[in-house]
Amino acid sequence: MSVSDQPIPLSGRILDIGVRFLPHFVLFAVIIGAWEISVATGLITSIIIPRPSAIWSAIVELYITEGTIYRHFFITLTEAVVGFAIGAGVAVSLAIASSLWDPFRRYVTPYAVVLNVTPGIALTPVIIAWFGYGMGSKIALAAIISFFPIFVNTLTGLVQVDEDREELFNSLGASNVQVFRKLRAPAALPLMFAGFKIGLTTALIGAVVAEFAQATDGVGVLMSRFSFQLNMAASLATLLSMTVIGLILFYSMEFLDDRIVFWRRESRRAAASRARARTWAAQAKK
Amino acid sequence: MAVQDATSEVLVDTLERSLRNRRIAKHVGIFLTLTLLWELGSRMGWLDPLFYPRPSNIIRSFWLIYFQNANVWFHLYSTISLVIIGWVLGSMLGIGLGALVGFNTVIRRFLKPYVIVLEATPRIAVAPLLIAALGFGVNSKLAIIMLVCFFAPFINTLSGVINVNEERLELFRSMRASKTQILRKLVLPDAIPVIMAGERLALTAALSGALVAEFIQRDKGIGSLILVYTRNLNMASAFACIFTLTIIGFLIFKGMEKLDHYIAYWKYEGGRERMSSKRKRTMVEP
Repeated sequence: MSVSDQPIPLSGRILDIGVRFLPHFVLFAVIIGAWEISVATGLITSIIIPRPSAIWSAIVELYITEGTIYRHFFITLTEAVVGFAIGAGVAVSLAIASSLWDPFRRYVTPYAVVLNVTPGIALTPVIIAWFGYGMGSKIALAAIISFFPIFVNTLTGLVQVDEDREELFNSLGASNVQVFRKLRAPAALPLMFAGFKIGLTTALIGAVVAEFAQATDGVGVLMSRFSFQLNMAASLATLLSMTVIGLILFYSMEFLDDRIVFWRRESRRAAASRARARTWAAQAKK
Repeated sequence: MAVQDATSEVLVDTLERSLRNRRIAKHVGIFLTLTLLWELGSRMGWLDPLFYPRPSNIIRSFWLIYFQNANVWFHLYSTISLVIIGWVLGSMLGIGLGALVGFNTVIRRFLKPYVIVLEATPRIAVAPLLIAALGFGVNSKLAIIMLVCFFAPFINTLSGVINVNEERLELFRSMRASKTQILRKLVLPDAIPVIMAGERLALTAALSGALVAEFIQRDKGIGSLILVYTRNLNMASAFACIFTLTIIGFLIFKGMEKLDHYIAYWKYEGGRERMSSKRKRTMVEP
């Protein structure tokens, strides 16, 4: 697929986007319309599946007029992010240690595998008993269940390096530090980021499930509260905020991935090399 | 874009190396030392036995819940039967829809935004909603399990169907293969390993989904048993249940591996030979 360098005029681009997305909007509108009508005529019970208009008014109420959701939104977001950070920190450092030191890897692996085959969510009640009803238990659960994918991916990336390259490094007399810094770490980064993406999603799940089990604040609490009041519209509106958290987490990681592992994408690689050329030119001028 | 299991070859390889005969004694030694330290710490009063149960108590609890009281069987049966039924139904739905969407470009184009949104939402989070809509009991549990099972097979089938090797497809076309032939001899064999990876993830997810549903419903199943034991601060029994889940998780892992060897036999060393010798036998017999 080739993209022409000629910039398309703005009006043309807007028109293009409009043409591209119009069928999607039409389909969406048709689905929503059919849904609304079938609830209004009593085809679907409104207790179980609320009208789209009711969901919309719940969204307006929760997000705009009352704004009750934001506190819970940020609490859950913080729990997921902090839990992820702890889990990722432990996972990456253990992975680095076990890639450098083979006996350590052999002794750590069985425990990591045991941790993996146990459904982490089963620990929820125990974690709540250990860490209390507050944010601590949510962070702990998020950390535990986000640990494994990151550990495995980072370890795989660090260990499975191209043998030819390793040989080249060895034959040029590279030190262990150099091999790690210039060969293993860069080779591991793409896989590590793939692990981070999985880990973030699971961290969010951990935070929400722990909130279901026992909590006072957070989107999960709001969700189960609304559901058991049979306030389905508000419940679905809350679900939307979880989707938003998920999207925020995923795309911020994608952004970081793009910036840090820049050599994987052609355009990013070109941009990075241009930036380097500029700094060198500036240095030469001095 | 296929979803993959986190358990990588590196880990399995390390596990196999570390569990070789000569080393296993060391592993057992380390494990026993850790357990002994734990037991000692608990007996010396460094670890509160109310929160951190002694290994000896956990073993006693295993005896209690499996044989003396034998109350775990009922819950195990409830959880496992639901997990398997939900997994089969949910992944069948996922594979069917994935194939449908994969073959039909129009549906694929229109479904893409919804898939992205669904992917970002933590799907377990819908659990309270489903319980409120479908009521307590088997229906809502099955629905939750099916929902969490659905996605990985769906996405993997979709990507398996889309990512057909173009050259092979051309070869098939140039030899005038019919559509069913292309499907049976090219698309399906290529897609099956990816689909199996999705199935494996789905089964793990199904167990987690069942646990979350049981945490919320608290009627029966291993999840509600863990919750009740933890609430009563009977941590030893809770841990016995969690270790039971570890065993189940391990059995799931091994079982899926066996199934993979059986279904996608050409992927494994020796699998093709085994199959061809089997075919030869059946062809010689008549």
